[in-house]
Amino acid sequence: MPDTSNSRPAGPPAFPFQRTCPFDPPPQYAAARAAGAVCPVTLWNGRRAWLVTRHEDIRAVLSDDARFSGRMANPDFPAITPARVTVDRNERAFVGMDNPAHDAYRRMFTREFSVKRLQALNPKISAIAEGLIDDMIEHGPPVDLIPALAVKFPSLVMSALFGSPYEDSEFIIRCAVARHGLTQSTEEAEFKARELAAYVRRLIDTKEASPGDDMVSRIIDEHVKPGKLSRDDFAEIGAMILRAGHDTTTNMIGMGTLLLLQNDALRAQLTADPALIEGAVDELLRYVSPVQFSPRRVALTDVEIGGVTIPKGEGLFMLLASANRDASMFSDPDTIDATRDASRHLAFGFGIHQCLGQMLARFELQIIYEAILRRLPSLRLAVPLEEIRFKHDMQIYGVHNLPVEW
Amino acid sequence: MVNAMIRIHVDEDKCIGAGHCVRASAKVFDQRDDDGIVVLLVGETGNELEPELRKAERLCPSQAIRIEITQGAGSSQSKQEAG
Repeated sequence: MPDTSNSRPAGPPAFPFQRTCPFDPPPQYAAARAAGAVCPVTLWNGRRAWLVTRHEDIRAVLSDDARFSGRMANPDFPAITPARVTVDRNERAFVGMDNPAHDAYRRMFTREFSVKRLQALNPKISAIAEGLIDDMIEHGPPVDLIPALAVKFPSLVMSALFGSPYEDSEFIIRCAVARHGLTQSTEEAEFKARELAAYVRRLIDTKEASPGDDMVSRIIDEHVKPGKLSRDDFAEIGAMILRAGHDTTTNMIGMGTLLLLQNDALRAQLTADPALIEGAVDELLRYVSPVQFSPRRVALTDVEIGGVTIPKGEGLFMLLASANRDASMFSDPDTIDATRDASRHLAFGFGIHQCLGQMLARFELQIIYEAILRRLPSLRLAVPLEEIRFKHDMQIYGVHNLPVEW
Repeated sequence: MVNAMIRIHVDEDKCIGAGHCVRASAKVFDQRDDDGIVVLLVGETGNELEPELRKAERLCPSQAIRIEITQGAGSSQSKQEAG
């Protein structure tokens, strides 16, 4: 069997790679894009996996459900950490399913994230943003923007939409971080996954007894009571929605705000013309690409990508951050340009598993960036950039702290 | 003389309700209230909408949208392509 790794005496390089600049993906991504469509790497367990690095190839793989599987329970599914192996194997939500099961479950939830429904929610989201900035102003500088805004804002929005009490947000975030870390133990990740599903399972009972105007109550009425969705399956899906709704948006608020603070021209441009913010959200998503090690697939048959054969049963990582810096799709890709059409970025993935909550995330980011620029025009870092701790220890990239003053 | 028209095809079975089409062209696309799946508000438009319809087509993550340039409603060319 042909094996490209045989030509390298030391075998394929270890993955993941380290960043050399906190605002850019690891330099190996650009090198891999230039050298070929796919690049073999060695994972922590000694297994070979393939990095897909070009925009066109990632789009093609994620659209090809006949030759690539996203089923996480597959023992060949590539995992970035030992803990992830167990988390993947236990995944019960549709994020880990192939079709037709995936679509059957996902369709029960898509209306909750439809454009019209989210537009109707926008006044509530805006009121949450204004309230949190009121709190920051009342507290006075300096404030760490991560807990004060980046964490609280999506937590309050998810609480309003999903129906989970706001005071449970810290617990939910701890569960999300246990899954999204790069260093946690298998036991901790597994325990927190079970704990969060059990929490949602209890919330379902609570809402069944006492319904509210929230997602959990609506799904119970529409799908659980008619017998289309079991309470246990709903608990697993609900846990997935809560994890994703908290951790990812938080990181885009932190990184996006830091980029605005580091880029006076961009900030002046968006402040002068707020109509540009909607497009700037996609541009910042493109530039940051916070999801680093998903989506993943397993080849169901020998597949050729750009002249390299991926053998059946081997795993692939779609490097979204690489696709989003691919010069064949985006001119001058390492520059933030609020006026470009960045809509073809892949920060939310592509294909049937593209992020369920992406439109909610876009609305949240548009509202919060607009509110920050309008209400805190003199916002600046309260510490040197060197004191910002970037999330090199997490699967979802961002910053741990962002002390600001104004 | 017939102006170029655009015929829009959607595949409800492929649709995952991501909503890019509604954002790209709210005149042409909507989402069903009960499950968020694509609804075609108009099946055929003039070519002035081509840029936003192309955008809807290329952003659709499950490739449920197809844009077909025709020579006007009911022309033999478009019938053959559709058939």
